[in-house]
Amino acid sequence: MAHYKIFGQDPYWMNFFGLMILTAIEVAAVGLDLSDFAADYDTTEKVVTLWILTIIAIPKFIMIAAIFMHLYGDADSGILTLTALFPAFFIIIMVLFVGLTHPDAATALPDWCRPGNFGV
Amino acid sequence: MSGDYDHDHHAPQPWGPHDWGHGAPHNSFSPLFLSMGIAIFLFSMAQAWSYGTYNPGNIPMILLGLLVIGFSLFIWWRQDLSFDGHYEPLATGVPFRGIQIRKVGVWVFLMSEMMVFTSLFSTYMRYRLGIENCGTVYERGMFDPVSNPTGWQEGVVVTCFEPASHLIASSWWHLAPGAINTFALILSSFTIVQALRYAKMPDLDDEARRKKVYRYLGTTWFLAVLFLTLKMIEWFIGFYVPEISAIGLHEHDIISLVDEGYTINADHYQHHSYVDEATGAHMVADIQVSASLFYVTTGTHGAHVAGGIIGLTYMTFKAWKGLYTPANAVSIEYFGLYWHFVDLVWVLVFPFFYLY
Repeated sequence: MAHYKIFGQDPYWMNFFGLMILTAIEVAAVGLDLSDFAADYDTTEKVVTLWILTIIAIPKFIMIAAIFMHLYGDADSGILTLTALFPAFFIIIMVLFVGLTHPDAATALPDWCRPGNFGV
Repeated sequence: MSGDYDHDHHAPQPWGPHDWGHGAPHNSFSPLFLSMGIAIFLFSMAQAWSYGTYNPGNIPMILLGLLVIGFSLFIWWRQDLSFDGHYEPLATGVPFRGIQIRKVGVWVFLMSEMMVFTSLFSTYMRYRLGIENCGTVYERGMFDPVSNPTGWQEGVVVTCFEPASHLIASSWWHLAPGAINTFALILSSFTIVQALRYAKMPDLDDEARRKKVYRYLGTTWFLAVLFLTLKMIEWFIGFYVPEISAIGLHEHDIISLVDEGYTINADHYQHHSYVDEATGAHMVADIQVSASLFYVTTGTHGAHVAGGIIGLTYMTFKAWKGLYTPANAVSIEYFGLYWHFVDLVWVLVFPFFYLY
């Protein structure tokens, strides 16, 4: 159980409210017209939406794992976090070498994923 | 009531060798039989509907699988019902020394679950990036041998990726079941952690604890059932939006994904917006890969919710009987880990399968 506070309040309630707010932003990001904002950055609305959704998913993921699943603040949190992170290596392999590869990878992968963009 | 059954006539008697008062470990063979039952059930199901052919000869094996599952759960739960936390075995080896073995076991199980969902996500990424989006194909316009040789032709099926979000995120009403489900799962994560909090609270009287714990677990159960109900509505049933002129709401039907033609064998899919305005020609798409990915991934998640409902049914019953105490409340924590993981997966499924 949590033996700490977040901004002086109960961590479970704070986590719950935080998750609700982030989810509301997610849903709003899909419903709102972001085409002008996207045009300012010379991209499409779909790409802006994807960035917003990805950026919001990360803190939501961490908030559930750290506070609800007690990977933060308990005596055994450290070793259990390492246990939870153990498959990360395999996950990275799967995502990078399966998820992001396809027969025409040399021409169709996103720019950030190709060697030239890392100065190689 | 820790193990002294002779003096506590309300406590259920332990089954078989589970004499907690004399240091019996909290173990059971039932999960092994449960696994066997699930294997029999799934293999028989696969045989019964093999390649679209219905084979009723496998029905007895399906029933046998269900029977083994039912008996395993019954025996497992009956054994657990009397467990009062008298002896919770701790790990002795590095690096988990001093941590409850069951807790470590749950985390190792969750690691394997992470791999399952990662394989589904990597497959999704592979095809989402590897197959051209149907919207992109449509926007290229109709085929013309001179001016538009890469365009689509009426009557010629285009293989492309049609994300479910094209239908789901097309309006607030279409999005409503998925959005409500997201809030429901977050709320259920909160209610189960509240159940754990009150079960562990040492200075609470037994009746107050019983009420708090079974109400919070019952709420979690209700939210899980709501989740699957809304998923069924979204996939198969659809719903009706009434006319409420005071708030500018017009009467209309929200059609289910299946009724929209978004199915795993949709090789002639026609989205209502893929129509050339000048000629009235329809673009026809083969979307079997994208639809399969959507249903398999969200369905695997839904199966986890269904499994959670089965577990929650028992736990709510145990809580209603007042059998959770600060000593054995860790059982709620272990189930809670699984349930939070289900929520965690939805945090990724919802934006990438429903919104994007």
